[in-house]
Amino acid sequence: MKERRIGVYICYCGGNISDYVDVEKVREVVKDEPGVVVAKTTMFACSDSAQQEIIEDIKTQKLNGLVIASCSPKLHLLTFRGTAIRAGLNPYQYIQVNIREQDSWAHTDDKRGATEKAIRLVRAGIAKARLSEPLEPIRVDTVPKALIIGGGIAGLRAALGFSDLGISVFIVEKSSNAGGWIGKLRKMYPHDRTGKEIISSLIEEMRKRDNITIFTDAELVEKSGSVGNFNVKIKVKEDVISLNVGAIVVATGFDVYRPKEGEFGYGMEGVITLPDFKKLVDESSGKIVVNGKEVKSITYIYCVGSRQSPTVENANLYCSRYCCNATIHTSILVSEKDPKITQFHLYRDIRTYGKFETLYEKARKNSAIFIKYPDNESPKVERKNGKLCVRVKDVLTENEELDIETDLVVLVTGMVPNKNDSLIDILKLPIGKDRFFNEVHPKLRPVETVIDGVFIAGTAQGPKNSAEAVASALASVSKAGALLKKGYVELEPQIASINRELCEWCGKCLEACPYSAIEKVKEKEKEVGRVIVALCKGCGACVPVCPVDAIDIKGYTDKQIREMIDALLKEVEIG
Amino acid sequence: MNFHVLVIGGGIAGMEAAITLGDMGYKVLLVEKEPSIGGKMILLSKVFPTLDCASCICTPKMAATAHHPNITLMTYTEVKEVEKKPDGSFSVRLLKKPRYVNESACTGCQQCEKACPVMVPDEYNYGLTVRKAAYIPYPTALPKVAVIDLDNCILCGACERVCPAECIDFTQTAQEIEYTVGSVIISTGFKLFPAELKFHYGYGRFKNVITAMQMDRLLSPTRPFNTILRPSDGKIPDNIAYILCTGSRDHTLDNILCSRVCCMYSIKQAQLLMGALPLADITIYYIDIRAFSKGYEEFYEQAKAMGVYFVKGKVAKIEEKENGNLVLHYEDIENGGKTMQAEHDLVVLAVGLLPTPEIAGIFKDGLEIDDYQYIKEVDEDLYPGKTSIDGVFVAGAASAAMDIPDAILHSDASASLAAAHVEKLRRRK
Repeated sequence: MKERRIGVYICYCGGNISDYVDVEKVREVVKDEPGVVVAKTTMFACSDSAQQEIIEDIKTQKLNGLVIASCSPKLHLLTFRGTAIRAGLNPYQYIQVNIREQDSWAHTDDKRGATEKAIRLVRAGIAKARLSEPLEPIRVDTVPKALIIGGGIAGLRAALGFSDLGISVFIVEKSSNAGGWIGKLRKMYPHDRTGKEIISSLIEEMRKRDNITIFTDAELVEKSGSVGNFNVKIKVKEDVISLNVGAIVVATGFDVYRPKEGEFGYGMEGVITLPDFKKLVDESSGKIVVNGKEVKSITYIYCVGSRQSPTVENANLYCSRYCCNATIHTSILVSEKDPKITQFHLYRDIRTYGKFETLYEKARKNSAIFIKYPDNESPKVERKNGKLCVRVKDVLTENEELDIETDLVVLVTGMVPNKNDSLIDILKLPIGKDRFFNEVHPKLRPVETVIDGVFIAGTAQGPKNSAEAVASALASVSKAGALLKKGYVELEPQIASINRELCEWCGKCLEACPYSAIEKVKEKEKEVGRVIVALCKGCGACVPVCPVDAIDIKGYTDKQIREMIDALLKEVEIG
Repeated sequence: MNFHVLVIGGGIAGMEAAITLGDMGYKVLLVEKEPSIGGKMILLSKVFPTLDCASCICTPKMAATAHHPNITLMTYTEVKEVEKKPDGSFSVRLLKKPRYVNESACTGCQQCEKACPVMVPDEYNYGLTVRKAAYIPYPTALPKVAVIDLDNCILCGACERVCPAECIDFTQTAQEIEYTVGSVIISTGFKLFPAELKFHYGYGRFKNVITAMQMDRLLSPTRPFNTILRPSDGKIPDNIAYILCTGSRDHTLDNILCSRVCCMYSIKQAQLLMGALPLADITIYYIDIRAFSKGYEEFYEQAKAMGVYFVKGKVAKIEEKENGNLVLHYEDIENGGKTMQAEHDLVVLAVGLLPTPEIAGIFKDGLEIDDYQYIKEVDEDLYPGKTSIDGVFVAGAASAAMDIPDAILHSDASASLAAAHVEKLRRRK
């Protein structure tokens, strides 16, 4: 093997690391490790000037291994692989050592211990770099077609976006009509355009395109393959159709929170949810009438099913974002229909963010009455002498207890994630603490999931209004578009490889493989195992079960791991 | 056509749009009027709700922008005019301002900065410190190339004498450049509300009243003092007040809009301060807490659990005491609504965001702005980012106050519309 020439860079992360780890000490201790020819500290390894310096060093010092001790590889593995590529170093000879999330941030109470741990981790990284081999990514051609799951506003708008870029689209909608929640709505905030109108304009435009196909009464039942080249099966009524697509956008939307019996009087006559109320307002031509009786006063109770206390079972701790704006807008529509109607809004914080503040102003000018109730004392809905009555403590007037007699109580219900168990299972979709689908990172990769080639759009990711769902749908179009327009993807080469000399085909590896990525082949009259490159994910399940140690994961060989363990265990003396 | 898309403004929104379009295979020209890309985000400490350091998100995006094979970057350059041509593309006129430094020869060694004898208030530290007339804006600036601020330069020649690369060049002049592009994205961001306009809060008169942007600088990794100090006497504060909605939701200041980010950045700073100054009390005076996006409400609850005090009530005025402390007069709504007074040793004004409508002036075809002076989105429901000129799009806070995650989504949406426009021009040919 060539002489190892390794460069080691230890990042301050502007204090994130250096406040707890003595990075200069780490440098001093590891600079003489075998193979290390450059050892430096840097304020921000990810900054352009630091990357330039690293590139300079790789070139002038002829480095053939690179170790950067900084943050989690989740954040910057790709950044520094890019640095290596620009310097002409094979990116798989770059090793990232996480001394932030797994060290400085975890041991803020023990600076000495954190420094010692950093030294051990960096040494292990160097040990791994010493045995690193150049690897080539596995190149797979992409299929210029996308699958969209969900035919609500996000799914439909994404479909047109893909079509605009020349990418063919299939939409899978589980109900018998596309359009989702928005298709059922009339006037929406802030522009008073109707949901029906918006959806029909989309559908009309889609009809003009020959590269959009929509399946209704359909669901995804199977997925195989990987980013750029998925094989999916769609059940459409009784038939099953097979499709080949390069990317999948999940736009399965939300469900409305359904209050429990008795929650804020739910179940009593005259107590309804916001979506039901919106329908009532949409369908009434003049005054609001319920059960043949004209409604003269309405009381809205905000944050039903949102911002719940952690003491509630399966609490929804999150804010549903759209409901303050939607309720206030609906109440303005009500005032327009019947200027004499009385409307009480019982709220915790009014969240008419940004330009929506003007809706709040308008509602107040229309004489809507806003009453703030305490976070820990919710209003109580009762029926007294046949009349609905809401008891509330009014924070804005010296916490006075008010009894509001009212004709109608509207529970401002939030958004909850849709039940998507089989989809989650098929696509292995990640779920956040709020039970909505989770993006990789809200700022770095907001519409991507940890499953490469699977994107999320609209309210499936978290509560949003219609325009925000559209923006997120178009963002997923541009990110998936970048993947598909390039024509190919490069997959990680850290996959299993079987030494055919040693292999005695016993089949144990195939039994252990969750992806069926190993096949039996005949080679020189001998039966041996072969890894199916496009299917192997490099999980390593086959490695320990092999009785003759014939399998290794490239980039994580047994030898590398043993050397890393030895380096971790080596005595540390920091004086 | 020289470029498929021109992106005006290299803050987080502009960089995101440029990278996304570049990844899609379009040729992008990114023009930034400041000496460095990075915008406001690179100056921040950490960002809500994940508390990632802003630099950790921003610097790699800056590097990705600068090194992208499909992106051409021009800093210290202004777009002077954009005009639509009959074929649907745009003719753009740029003005590359002189740095008085040879950009390709400068190594960013900062010798000129050390030698320069002139000190002026540092705009990148919002006046907390000074910078030189020959300077690099901040340590993570990109390109890391010096610039000479000729308005303040005394032409002493000190920089010229020390520059090892001999790249100081006072003969440079502004250059006009013209290009043809297929589409334009405006990502010129926002301005901060000038806090002195809220006279009763005493910003500019009382030394220990600072803005939240100044506090973010004090907390950032490139912080000027390496700790939190109050300006009047350098004391480490132990009782800090935040006043939300400074310059927002305020008829007296002609800005009725909510600025969308101030609640959250104040809650973020409160959490960071509790880490930096464990003994300090932090009180946030608010109208409504608007923690509306994914993970935000949980972030607010976390701040409450950490011991941040939240007081519902509007602060009417601030008075300064002789020792530099400040007395806030406020309405204590949750405790009976009485007018109360509270003393703090540092007050942070959560200043709002304002539009940058000036950019509309460069469009010869007339670009519409909305009732609040933001670039008008003509069809937000289906075409977020689409403006009144076909082929011109807006991304991020140039269209409305918004936080970083929303700005990034908005930029990626605008990028898809710009890409669709370029494809349409291709088909027309």
